[in-house]
Amino acid sequence: MSLNHYLVLGAILFTIGIFGIFLNRRNVIIIMMSIELILLAVNINFVAFSRFMGNVDGQIITFFVMTVAAAEAAIGLAILVAFFRNRATIDVEEIDSMKG
Amino acid sequence: MMVADVIFYLFATVTVLSALGVVGARNPVHSVLFLVLAFFSTAGLFVLMGAEFLAAILVMVYMGAVAILFLFVVMMLDVDFSMLRRESVRYLPMGFVVGAVMLAELGLMMAHHPGEGLHLGLDNTDNTLAIGQALYTRFLYPFEVASLILLVALIGAVALTHRERKRVHRQDISTQLARTKEDAVELRKVASGEGA
Amino acid sequence: MLEHYFPILVLLGAALAIGGGAMGFSYLVGPKRPYHEKLDQYECGFAPLGRIRMRFDVRFYLIAIIFIVFDIEAAFLFPWAVAFESIGLIGFIEMMLFLSVLLVGYAYVWKKGALEWE
Repeated sequence: MSLNHYLVLGAILFTIGIFGIFLNRRNVIIIMMSIELILLAVNINFVAFSRFMGNVDGQIITFFVMTVAAAEAAIGLAILVAFFRNRATIDVEEIDSMKG
Repeated sequence: MMVADVIFYLFATVTVLSALGVVGARNPVHSVLFLVLAFFSTAGLFVLMGAEFLAAILVMVYMGAVAILFLFVVMMLDVDFSMLRRESVRYLPMGFVVGAVMLAELGLMMAHHPGEGLHLGLDNTDNTLAIGQALYTRFLYPFEVASLILLVALIGAVALTHRERKRVHRQDISTQLARTKEDAVELRKVASGEGA
Repeated sequence: MLEHYFPILVLLGAALAIGGGAMGFSYLVGPKRPYHEKLDQYECGFAPLGRIRMRFDVRFYLIAIIFIVFDIEAAFLFPWAVAFESIGLIGFIEMMLFLSVLLVGYAYVWKKGALEWE
């Protein structure tokens, strides 16, 4: 298995994630899941390079990325829950009450 | 190496298809379940690359916790998801353009740096041990910062979503146990025939 | 190294075959004669009241968040335990620092009453 196989897979996943953000521009939950996909693509690249370079640093960075992603999901979903309580919607285009 | 190739293509196909499912499913509950499948097949790929520890963490933390958190939120918020879908066709061409450009860029980059001959070396070291030895020596500061990030996530999430409920009668065990006969019972002598 | 995972691969294949086989076979062989009454929503003889989707309480979500944070904390403990002998006292001290930072968060959550199930 060569490095390129994994890089191509990472590129495809990354593109699907970006595409998902555009496709579901109004649903915050799906947007956050697309961000998780993008992070997953990044993680695949990190691990593949770590394997290729023969040292473990890439895997440790992946570990940190996972930590930050979990924290991000927890806080992001908490904000979403708080927003839903106040406005009874999760439409991104409704989140503009601060606009002048 | 033939078996490993077949397994790679199997897991890679499942990953890509379930990623498309995440993005395209009509029902958000299905999206979350596809996300779980994508995480699982990526864990398979991690094992294939020899990152056993990360594969285990991916299954444990991501499938066990993060995806379930998403599922909770989807079930918790009683949203009419078809409303949110209604105008999404409007953004479809833009999404295709951005996606195609991204993919073309990544493809071009890879075409200029062919890594066809770059085979991934296999070693027989203990993956978890190697991670532990590097994480707690060279990555000391990022590790301590990770604890702060987790602290912020914990406090932030509780501060944002926790509401003190009024009008709820809580059981306070220490108050119950601290009650003595003296403050609970009052004995009065009532003369016979004069009690109310 | 990879050959250690062969039993898991076999297990995965067997699980897929049994699960998929059971569902696919019953789909193919089972009789399907749907009619209007059979497909209708059912609620003790009434027309259905309310919606099917029930809203979860936020308390479940709070518990899930607290679980995630301590799950990751536990994940950091595994490589530490495996590499404990080679990282020595420094490793022990930094892990205690890590745990004490998260203990502050735990104390906050406890004090706030988020662990109580009213």
